[in-house]
Amino acid sequence: MNASVQHESKTHQAVLRVQGISKSFGDNHVLKDISFDMQKGEVVSLLGPSGCGKSTLLRCINWLEIPDAGHIRLNSERMGYAVNGTKVGDAQLSKMRSKIGMVFQHFALWPHMTVLENVMASPLHVQKRNRKEVEQEARAVLKRVGLEDKINMLPSRLSGGQKQRVGIARALAMKPDILLFDEPTSALDPMLVGEVLEVMRDLAAEGSTMVIVTHEMKFARQVSSRIIFMDSGHIIENRSPEEFFDNPQTDKAKTFLHSVQYK
Amino acid sequence: MNFYDYLSFVYGAVSTIGVSFIAIIVGIPLGLGLALLRWAKVPLLGKCAYVYVSLVRSCPAVTLIMLIYFGLPQFEISLSPLVAAMISFSITATAFNCEIWRSALLSFDRSQYEAAQAFGMNRWIRFRYVLLPQVWRSSIPGLINEMTLLVKNSPAISVIGLLDITRAAQRIGARTYEPIPPLLVGFAIYIVIVMLLIKLQKHLEVRIRSAQEPL
Amino acid sequence: MNLSDFQIIYDERDSVITGIQTTLSLVLVSGLASVLFGLILTPLFFSKVGWVRGSIEWLCSAMRCSPFLLFVYVIYFGLPSYGINFDKYTSGLVAMIVYHSAYMAIIFRSAWVDIPAEILEAGTAYGFRGATLIRRIIGPLLLMRAIPMVGNQWIQIVKDSAYLGIISVFDITAAFNSIQSIYFNPFVCFIVAGLLYWVFCLLIELIVNLVARYARERIA
Repeated sequence: MNASVQHESKTHQAVLRVQGISKSFGDNHVLKDISFDMQKGEVVSLLGPSGCGKSTLLRCINWLEIPDAGHIRLNSERMGYAVNGTKVGDAQLSKMRSKIGMVFQHFALWPHMTVLENVMASPLHVQKRNRKEVEQEARAVLKRVGLEDKINMLPSRLSGGQKQRVGIARALAMKPDILLFDEPTSALDPMLVGEVLEVMRDLAAEGSTMVIVTHEMKFARQVSSRIIFMDSGHIIENRSPEEFFDNPQTDKAKTFLHSVQYK
Repeated sequence: MNFYDYLSFVYGAVSTIGVSFIAIIVGIPLGLGLALLRWAKVPLLGKCAYVYVSLVRSCPAVTLIMLIYFGLPQFEISLSPLVAAMISFSITATAFNCEIWRSALLSFDRSQYEAAQAFGMNRWIRFRYVLLPQVWRSSIPGLINEMTLLVKNSPAISVIGLLDITRAAQRIGARTYEPIPPLLVGFAIYIVIVMLLIKLQKHLEVRIRSAQEPL
Repeated sequence: MNLSDFQIIYDERDSVITGIQTTLSLVLVSGLASVLFGLILTPLFFSKVGWVRGSIEWLCSAMRCSPFLLFVYVIYFGLPSYGINFDKYTSGLVAMIVYHSAYMAIIFRSAWVDIPAEILEAGTAYGFRGATLIRRIIGPLLLMRAIPMVGNQWIQIVKDSAYLGIISVFDITAAFNSIQSIYFNPFVCFIVAGLLYWVFCLLIELIVNLVARYARERIA
């Protein structure tokens, strides 16, 4: 009885709880028993060598990939399942997903929609909110990412950095509880990385809850409240950025930091 | 359906396959010739090739075959139906093959051709040993697709009185007052032909791939 | 062949115009209807129900193996034995629509498969699903991506319409065939017929190119 009360109160605090997630593709065990919690306003950077399962973990969080075992809880609601433990249908799942904003490596903007339409699409057609209100908010988030003058352009006319800022605006427009960034700058020209990181830095400063998969070590150190370091499907370290970067505990983390030439 | 009905299917299948086959044999080299004219941007002739392809590509098989069979005798050129059908289908196949070869040529890396030139290969050697083997390989799916198109257009030969599979099926149906069964038989024959062509494509692709694999 | 051959065609312009109208109406109606039905059929290829997927695959491959004329015969000669009677024109039109809808469905399926996975995934991640996903994201993208192939199929529709002369639909080819059988000027007649088909196809190409230009910056 006591234990269960304690458990309940803990889930209420955490925006995101990842509990024992495992996932394999055939013989390839990509994620092995991954668990961690995130509080509101926390920024977690997922680091690790390529192929360590970071992106798969991100995709498991919003159920794009269905884990073989384990739970994802978003504000104590279990992803993919109803309260009584049965699997939810598409409709319920899409409602849950619309509380998670995802930013993709290759932007994945909808090419046939203008910038404004991209940002308005989900609030309008999925959340079925009032058009006027949605448009007002969409214009506001686009202003926030510095693209108010590109509103009626097609994505194909934008630079990579601008596309990714639209991607972020699209995520923000859903008023998500949590933002997931899947290597948001790794498809960008080095010149354009800065403008995207700047937007993300602002979001972090404003108290957004964010999970970031990234290769930008300096940036991860500056904005993160916590670093989760993964290697071959396990969480190896889960600590504050200062501790992780200045004093990595494991050989794997040391090797990794060395290989990305982080001083 | 009696024995003679089955025999007429066999007869129809032979003319369907025969006409399509001749057309392909004629169309492959002629189409390649036209495609090279366009690829090399030969003045005037390249343009002519373009107009030829555009015209023939939009001309229905029935119309073309009637033009050849009924129209040419006006110039004292009298053709048997079979020859008229073969000419008409060859004209079509040439145009379609030209497009297939051309798109293969367009995706061919011109710098290789220039490299061959730098090594002192003459025009013919460059064409025969550098260009053709690669272009041939990328053309195979298009060529097979083209053959199925020819087979599917072969019922057009019935308008000049030739017996093909579809006509055979329709005639039997008209005589027995049961149109569906012979049409199904005809349909089955077409399925077999198309399947065989697809098999041929896979066979050719495998053979070429194994021949070009590095040792 | 001389000028008087053309004069004959001009004198017989009434039947030529009737032929053009017939071909035009066949092509317009079946061209648009096949796109519409093709779009309706396409999601079935991606159905979660096995037999739905299986039967649509089977139907479309069957159409792909069948010559158009054979299918026309099935509709025109075959259906009456099941008590379904269409006149010549309707038989032809039904055959055109059904046959080419299958081809359009195949075209749209391949356009669907070619949409970059990440774009569709973004749709899923942002809560789009089922009909909304198809209407807002997949549909517009596959339509725009399929434009060149749809254009080719329209040209095929124009060419296939000429087969309907065989079941005595009075289309362009049939019109000129009737003129030449009276005046014995087959060469000029079929040349002019061929040129008319050419004009049809050039118009289609023109329209397709215009639309494709609009679509190009919206598809990737």
